[in-house]
Amino acid sequence: MNVNDKTLQALTAGMKFREMRQEMISSNVANAETPGYKAKRLDFEKALARALDVDGQMGMKVEDGQHYDVGNGGFENLEPEVYEDPNGVVNESGNTVNREDEMARMAQNKIMYDALVQLTNKKLGMKKYILNSER
Amino acid sequence: MDLLKSMKISSSGLAANRKRIEAISSNIANAQTTRTAEGGPYRRKEVAFGSEPARDNFADILEGEIDAHAQKVHATEVVSTNEPPILKYDPTHPDANADGYVAMPNINVMKEMADMISAQRAYEANISAINTSKSMAMKALEIGR
Repeated sequence: MNVNDKTLQALTAGMKFREMRQEMISSNVANAETPGYKAKRLDFEKALARALDVDGQMGMKVEDGQHYDVGNGGFENLEPEVYEDPNGVVNESGNTVNREDEMARMAQNKIMYDALVQLTNKKLGMKKYILNSER
Repeated sequence: MDLLKSMKISSSGLAANRKRIEAISSNIANAQTTRTAEGGPYRRKEVAFGSEPARDNFADILEGEIDAHAQKVHATEVVSTNEPPILKYDPTHPDANADGYVAMPNINVMKEMADMISAQRAYEANISAINTSKSMAMKALEIGR
């Protein structure tokens, strides 16, 4: 049994990114009235999907002896993407933060985070069960 | 830890909005003030907000790109606005000029009240952001239970 398997790695990476997203949303809410501030978004789903590579379609293949095997990047160098929200409506002070939108995103992020914690506990529970099953 | 930083960012929002409430309170309290230390009637105060990267120490600066994007807010300065005072005809007023007019502060109490509600809502939004960060951190402590 691999203790730190792909599932746990994905779950912990997901939690880390959701914490980052919470930080991003906090920043947007705090700066909802700062002139010129643009709402920022954090995108990690694509990077995570690439690292997981469930269907094996996203990795870079080695077809020549001179190619380096870079695989799919793995979980070590996962980089989320931060960008200014392109759909933001600019108000009179040059700010694009929509506070209601941010609160909705925050609620959603929190639910997903709690789900990740629960899944991690389920996964750890299964591992505990395996470790204790021979007794 | 990221969640603690989220809370720090939200608390910067609380501090900035408290400052704004302070300025609004001062404006409402001084809506009739005709004598000030700098002379003339009271001038309306306004708080200017600015953002800065949420970094406290060198380690944070080294940490990477995300932290450059997460911005704290701070009240950069309190400015006295340059709106001309309102002249009100009141010859019995001790500060009336030779023609019987008094220079009163240019403060619209209705506007100040509306600003106060907006500042209060902003404060509440930051509070609920802190609560969300807090309950996420508490949830993370349940891992492995």
